[in-house]
Amino acid sequence: MTHFLLVRVGTALATMALLSAALFLATDALPGDAAGTAAGADATAGERAELRERLGLDRPVVERYLAWLGDSLTGDLGRSAAAGRPVGEMLASRFGSSVLLVATAVACIAVAATVLGLLAGLRSGRPVDRLVSSGTVTLLALPEFLLATALLAVFAHGAGLLPAVSLIPLGDSPWQHPQALVLPVASLFLAGVGIATRLLRAAVATAAESPAVEQARLSGERGPRLAWSYVLPAAAPAVQGLAVTTAGLLGGSLVVETLFNYPGVGSELARAVAYRDTAVVQGFGLALAGTALLVLLLGDLVSGLLDVRSRSASATGLRGERRLR
Amino acid sequence: MSELSRRGFLGIGAVAAAGLSGLLTACSAEPAAPSGGSAATTLRAAFAGGGSAETLNYFVGPSALDFVRARLVHAPLGAIDPAQPDGVSLGALESIDIDDDLTSYTLRLREALTFSDGSPVTSDDLLYSLRAPDELQGLPFTRLVGRGFDLSAAKRLDARTVRLPTASPIADGRLLLCQSMLVIKDGTTEFSPRTPSCGPYLIEGFEAGQQTVLRRNPDWFGDGNGPDEIHLLSISDAEARVNALRGDAADFVSGVSPYSAQSLAEESGFEVSAGEAPYLSNLRFEMNLEHEPFRDERVRRAFRLAVDRQAVVDTVYFGRAAIGNDVPAIGFPSYDSSLEQRLHDPDEARRLLRAAGHDGMSVELTAGPELPGMVETATLIVENLREIGVRATLVELPAGQLYADYEAYQQLPFAAGYNPPAPFEANHTPGTFPEVDTLVATARSAPDAAQRTDASHRAQQLLWEQGNQIIPVFVPTVDAHTDRLSGVRHLQFPDLSAARLASA
Repeated sequence: MTHFLLVRVGTALATMALLSAALFLATDALPGDAAGTAAGADATAGERAELRERLGLDRPVVERYLAWLGDSLTGDLGRSAAAGRPVGEMLASRFGSSVLLVATAVACIAVAATVLGLLAGLRSGRPVDRLVSSGTVTLLALPEFLLATALLAVFAHGAGLLPAVSLIPLGDSPWQHPQALVLPVASLFLAGVGIATRLLRAAVATAAESPAVEQARLSGERGPRLAWSYVLPAAAPAVQGLAVTTAGLLGGSLVVETLFNYPGVGSELARAVAYRDTAVVQGFGLALAGTALLVLLLGDLVSGLLDVRSRSASATGLRGERRLR
Repeated sequence: MSELSRRGFLGIGAVAAAGLSGLLTACSAEPAAPSGGSAATTLRAAFAGGGSAETLNYFVGPSALDFVRARLVHAPLGAIDPAQPDGVSLGALESIDIDDDLTSYTLRLREALTFSDGSPVTSDDLLYSLRAPDELQGLPFTRLVGRGFDLSAAKRLDARTVRLPTASPIADGRLLLCQSMLVIKDGTTEFSPRTPSCGPYLIEGFEAGQQTVLRRNPDWFGDGNGPDEIHLLSISDAEARVNALRGDAADFVSGVSPYSAQSLAEESGFEVSAGEAPYLSNLRFEMNLEHEPFRDERVRRAFRLAVDRQAVVDTVYFGRAAIGNDVPAIGFPSYDSSLEQRLHDPDEARRLLRAAGHDGMSVELTAGPELPGMVETATLIVENLREIGVRATLVELPAGQLYADYEAYQQLPFAAGYNPPAPFEANHTPGTFPEVDTLVATARSAPDAAQRTDASHRAQQLLWEQGNQIIPVFVPTVDAHTDRLSGVRHLQFPDLSAARLASA
């Protein structure tokens, strides 16, 4: 287990180092820079050059990468080219809101995907499976902006039940205004529940045919108890599926945040890309990549711990024997 | 021993569903948006903003919202106003006098103007305000005054008067002074909600990328009829802004797309307003003279004649745009409206191209969504050019990329661009047509007003005949608001200080 842990953490750190270089070089390779965007069309050549020098954009790329990496390790992510605000401060004000949004959506997805995945996986090939499967495939095929727009049309414009934009009063956090969270969370939920259910259904269908479950069934286990105590633990590798979905939603919240004006990292990242604010793109990108890697690592560890195949056979075996007696 | 129970699963599902719908119900009971007290009027105005890069330091703030906010908080020297004889209406200044030889300007502050900390606004503050854009390394658009005047030689004459020498004689200095210059207190280097200010509103609270709460300044010299509070909301997506208006989370939204404007105008309860000349951006398509075919004046004329301007106004902007005549700065006092309007003439265009030997030439037009309708107009122009036999293609760049690499932009053979509303002469970039440059210099510095106008008109005539820009339309900023709101003035940016909001 220690070996497994060390290997996984080591791989994650190496991936992170590679990602940081890829992120820096990719943003740097984008045509143009913040000096060009900020100066506007009416600036003189001298004003442009001065702006570029002030933003440090005239130094070689390797020098800038190493300086940035060194500063990032000490927690200094640089300053926004747009108005000189520290990127760390911008990240701090936005990151919590995005985590709240994604975590709420993932919690809802976990519950729904478990219920639907068990329902479909245990009745593989039967009408209920076909219904759940066609539903999830439909959701998978729909792009987020379409789902979000449909929710807006129904709940905000149609019924007038919920605000169309997430406006948070000054000094408050989004969690103090749950009404601002409902539509963004619902959009992310619909965007993520399809893939999570598909992954769980597949794991459940495989687990349902495993000897352990077969044995439990033979010994008389039925219904939710069979599903909860025997099938679900055997389908534990699907936790990785949820982790992948979570990592996807972290990046995918961009569209939803922009459409609902939710004050998270996604909408901020979209603005920074348009503005060629590379320090913000790099800092936010690094934080998102780090979080995604962390979630994937946790998913691996949890599924490793839960996986019945990696456990000693005695636990399930004993339970089975007790039942038989 | 029940069989794998459907009811059991439905139960779990129902709990989850109940949780969600409970959340939905709990939420719908609360008000949809922050609002002020019952007696006080609060105007909620939404702008695109700049996310968490927004700043109270308007010298470096890149978004229009940063400047809209700054104009409400810091008193402007004045505003460009073509209805006035001098072309400007004054704010913090009482007068701007120009020496006969156009080498020096005398600026006099209004009496009894005070900062929010109680101190009077003096000529030292005015001097500092004039120099601050350069000293605090402002963005180029804030530094217009420094390009025309010798700021280091500016002198204080008395407590309310400053003498400002020009870099070289100029007659249009009033326009430069009133375009974007605001009054700040001497020595200000940091901008926070507590920074002393002297504008019509004071900052109550500010959170970058989200909201600014402004309260009316009781000591402001103006009529004081504006709303008690103004909440400036940052909503970056244009559709989300329209959604905020429809959902009664905003009373006024700035920057509405031509299509949304058209659909809002047809709904009851909303009004759409568009800026009028001179507050129109010029949408221009520049033919690079480094690109061989464009060196031939006939090719340039053919391209200009090929464009169906009326179709652009009608189909792209639903009529909310002014037709252009290939000369910039429509609506400003020196704009030559006597120039003949160039019409759509594909036959003549084809003939000119053939005569120049460039029949069937290829060209790539580069455009991006930097101004509403820019890409759509470029698409129409490409169609128009194909009609006259040019093998034209459109290269559409993603948002933010057009100007991001300015050197690359300048190399493009045929590219879209735009300029915010600004007078022609002071913003003319020399270097393309020497004859025009000389005339513009005369138009800015000749001692006699008639001479200046004449030189300006001759420069415009030359640009109309031989220039390398197609300016098919002038584009307003289109705003939308509830029909309870009135009194928003369309200057370069919307001015909310005199807005009136009727109770619902």
